[in-house]
Amino acid sequence: MKINTTNLNLYYHKFQALKNVNMDVKRNLVTGIIGPSGCGKSTLLRVFNRMNELIEGVRTTGSVLIDNEDIHSPMYDVILLRKRVGMVFQRPNAFPLSIFDNIAYGPRVWNISDRKTLTEIVERSLAAVDLLDVLKDRLHDSALSLSAEKQQRLCIARLLAVEPEILLMDEPCSALDPIATGKIEELMLELKKRYTIVIVTHNMQQAARIADEVGFMLLGELVEFDTAKTVFTNPKDKRTADYISGRFG
Amino acid sequence: MDRHFDEELQTVKRKLVEMAALVEESITKSLDALHKKNEVIANEIRATDHNIDEMEIAIEDTCIELIARHQPVGSDLRFLVGAIKMNNDLERMGDHSVNIADCIKYVAEGPPIAKITNIWSMARIVKEMLRESVESFIHNDAARAQKVCERDSVVDEMRNETIRILLTYMLEEPEKIGSAIQYLLVAKNLERIADLSTNICEDVIYIAQARVIKHHAEEKKA
Repeated sequence: MKINTTNLNLYYHKFQALKNVNMDVKRNLVTGIIGPSGCGKSTLLRVFNRMNELIEGVRTTGSVLIDNEDIHSPMYDVILLRKRVGMVFQRPNAFPLSIFDNIAYGPRVWNISDRKTLTEIVERSLAAVDLLDVLKDRLHDSALSLSAEKQQRLCIARLLAVEPEILLMDEPCSALDPIATGKIEELMLELKKRYTIVIVTHNMQQAARIADEVGFMLLGELVEFDTAKTVFTNPKDKRTADYISGRFG
Repeated sequence: MDRHFDEELQTVKRKLVEMAALVEESITKSLDALHKKNEVIANEIRATDHNIDEMEIAIEDTCIELIARHQPVGSDLRFLVGAIKMNNDLERMGDHSVNIADCIKYVAEGPPIAKITNIWSMARIVKEMLRESVESFIHNDAARAQKVCERDSVVDEMRNETIRILLTYMLEEPEKIGSAIQYLLVAKNLERIADLSTNICEDVIYIAQARVIKHHAEEKKA
């Protein structure tokens, strides 16, 4: 088990966004979170690297364990947490720097300055997202000159450069066309061999295609959590059945 | 771009080929046991059929999961629909093999019937049809599948010939009616196996070329 939540509640001031969420995220699997807009899936994702704390008025109760350590413990180093738990966002957010500097950014924050080491990290990270062959002669071009799909791959490579254990993906393909989406999905299936991936997606078919386990959320509640096969062929809860068959949402 | 989905489709294909090999082995054994009137082998065939049934359930389960999760279209959809039908056809062939094995006991107990070489010729063609149907599936070869379909009428004719021969036996030597009926059942089961091989080939043509040839559909369209 990589991540465990027990009786997790989250409030934005008085509004309760997560209601008693109990969930286990298994190591080296893709776990998909689906549900209609505003159901709390992105909020749940942001719990795992404590990004919600950047929002004013957020209060969390219950426990969130990563490798059996309570990430809300006062002793827990939140900077280290965000190194271990990287995040990819809806739109690629490449920095206005060169391709090389984008990827070297994280390692430099962690005080790696040796050029040879940085080059190795950049090349290894680009190779992991299948971009090295394409970009090896363009490492000093601006990252913003790349297509949206390649920028999103670059952002994933930037995460990998700091050697995370968990990749959180918040609708990582929503700004991409179907071909680019397919490439990112294939990448996720490769990456899960080495990382634990949690993906939030509006695109139910995407969750069906790539997730091993799927959670369906509604109004802050984790209605159902099971293998993708069960959720998409024989969901136990009528609300899940109605949602996946397009009867609401 | 290589897709992980392609690997999953290949896994379905591999499992179907494994199942087909098991079915072919079962049919070969049941005919061999019939020839030798060996009831021990007949029991083995029933055990093998249990494995075939389990494979059918597993393959169907995988196909349903892949349809639900990948919403396949085009050739992927045709492959999975064809795979589900082929899976069912192979399982039915396994049952026909058991039916043949079930005849052995009665044939062994009854008086021997000579000159039923027709049944063994029929069996050889039926096994060739099954092997060719599986090969055409493996290689996605519509032309090869078409040739198998054309042999179905040959088997039908051989079955009719077998019935004529056995009816003669029954009229001339009534004490052999019991055994003759068992051979009639064997001929019927062999003919059904040939039909199912033809069904598989019709599905191969559908998968490869999106053409529906069953029930003379193309001729009716024209």
